Amino acid sequence: MAQVVIKRLTKTFPPPTKGGDPVVAIGDISLEVEGNVFASIVGPSGCGKSTLLNILSGVETPTSGTVSVTESGRPAHLGYVFQDARLLPWRTVMDNMLYVRDDGEAGETRATRYLDMVGLSHTHDMFPGQLSGGMQQRVGIARAFSVEPDLLLMDEPFSHLDAITARSLRDHLQELWSATRKTVLFVTHDVVEAVQLSDRIIVLAPGGRIFDDITIDLPHPRRATDPKVATLQAEILGRFEEMHPAPAPA
Amino acid sequence: MTDTVAESIRQDLDQGQVLRTAAGARRRRYALVVLGWLVFIGLWWLLALWVGSEARLPSPGRVFQEVLAILQEDFWAQFWASIVRVVAGFFAAVLIGTPVGLLMGRSKYWSNFLQSPVVVAGSIPGLTYAVMAFVVFGISFWGPVLAVGLIAMPYVAINVAEGMRGVDRRLVDMSTAYGRNERQVFRHVVIPSVLPFVFAGVRLSFSLAWKVGTLTEVFGSSKGIGFQIRRNYQLFNMPGVIAWVLLFVLFMLLIERFILVRLERRLFRWRQWEREA
Repeated sequence: MAQVVIKRLTKTFPPPTKGGDPVVAIGDISLEVEGNVFASIVGPSGCGKSTLLNILSGVETPTSGTVSVTESGRPAHLGYVFQDARLLPWRTVMDNMLYVRDDGEAGETRATRYLDMVGLSHTHDMFPGQLSGGMQQRVGIARAFSVEPDLLLMDEPFSHLDAITARSLRDHLQELWSATRKTVLFVTHDVVEAVQLSDRIIVLAPGGRIFDDITIDLPHPRRATDPKVATLQAEILGRFEEMHPAPAPA
Repeated sequence: MTDTVAESIRQDLDQGQVLRTAAGARRRRYALVVLGWLVFIGLWWLLALWVGSEARLPSPGRVFQEVLAILQEDFWAQFWASIVRVVAGFFAAVLIGTPVGLLMGRSKYWSNFLQSPVVVAGSIPGLTYAVMAFVVFGISFWGPVLAVGLIAMPYVAINVAEGMRGVDRRLVDMSTAYGRNERQVFRHVVIPSVLPFVFAGVRLSFSLAWKVGTLTEVFGSSKGIGFQIRRNYQLFNMPGVIAWVLLFVLFMLLIERFILVRLERRLFRWRQWEREA
């Protein structure tokens, strides 16, 4: 049960052109996520969602404010699923799994288990280039679960895939999550996807401020085809409509 | 039922067709290679007839006799002498060029500092190195080694620097996010990314190294293929000169084909799929 505490976090990037204004990616966010929760961060592109995950994982440093990711007092182990698979092309699937956490036989057993769970038990000795984009992404997901993280960060992991592959991977993810119940921070711009997967949806507005915080109370695993999921998706999409009204019918 | 049988027969036929065409293409390719050689030797032979003097332009047959004679005599000793120097110089080039390239690719500061000397070193003609090596070392083992090292080093350095700039930032970030330390990132991300570039540099400079090595032997050696070419030239033995050159070219190609290309294919097995993906 990881605990994520974000206090008055800001992140600005240097101006893209000389003499321009600095770019504010995150403008003063305070947020806590705790327990076995699947939390989504939703917002339009450019509102600092990916930057937030990069700061949490230590790839980038905050401009001001603090973040802490802990697991009963100690720094939490992280898993990270990116928009692209980010596998080392010169290592086989199995060696890619072992690269991120190599603890000998135990690591191999875990890697095998999670590759099985995403349906890739036949790919151990294959190179990433031999797999399709969807399969590579599944390896990326299995890799993140196989380090047995306290906190799992996911950055629009399905946005580069075709709709059908993405849909099947969401169902895969629901199965995996229900079996493991990790704390997840899932970044997406897709409200429908967020509703299917999450217990909590944090909505960011442009300029990186929190706009809304929604709780979804439905049992897991949830299928995309479940009517209850569909109803809730429509309802929450309705709320977003209020924010950005659709043109009135002529 | 009949449909499926017919279908499967048709598929077999199609497959046979594909196999036949592949084999045919290979045969045609070999035929063209052989034809190319025959035309080359034919032209040479005609030219030799026209010159009409075996002492000035020997015929292919005369040179072939000489090649056989050399192979029975001391070819291997001379060849070995040359190859040891080229390989030694080459190792020196990789040993120095790789860290120089790593520095250049890593920071702007080192890149600015090293860029011009490396480019200048790369554009100096091989002959200059050969002469310099002779002047510094006289007739010795180290002259050709130095010349080869100097000529090959800039190619290795420039390619390694290029490879460093090509390291995928996203893979480095992934490693950081998973808590990999700098040493692990260097070993598992940077080195594998740079290695194909090192190899390109090695292959590019290999033929150059051979040429300069031989050239240096002409001046500053008492052994090796270059020395043999000079000796035959001084004896006005043109068949000998050409025979040595031919043997030199032949073995250079063999080394390139059977050692470098194979090694490359083995090391970079994963790239074959990367290209397809």
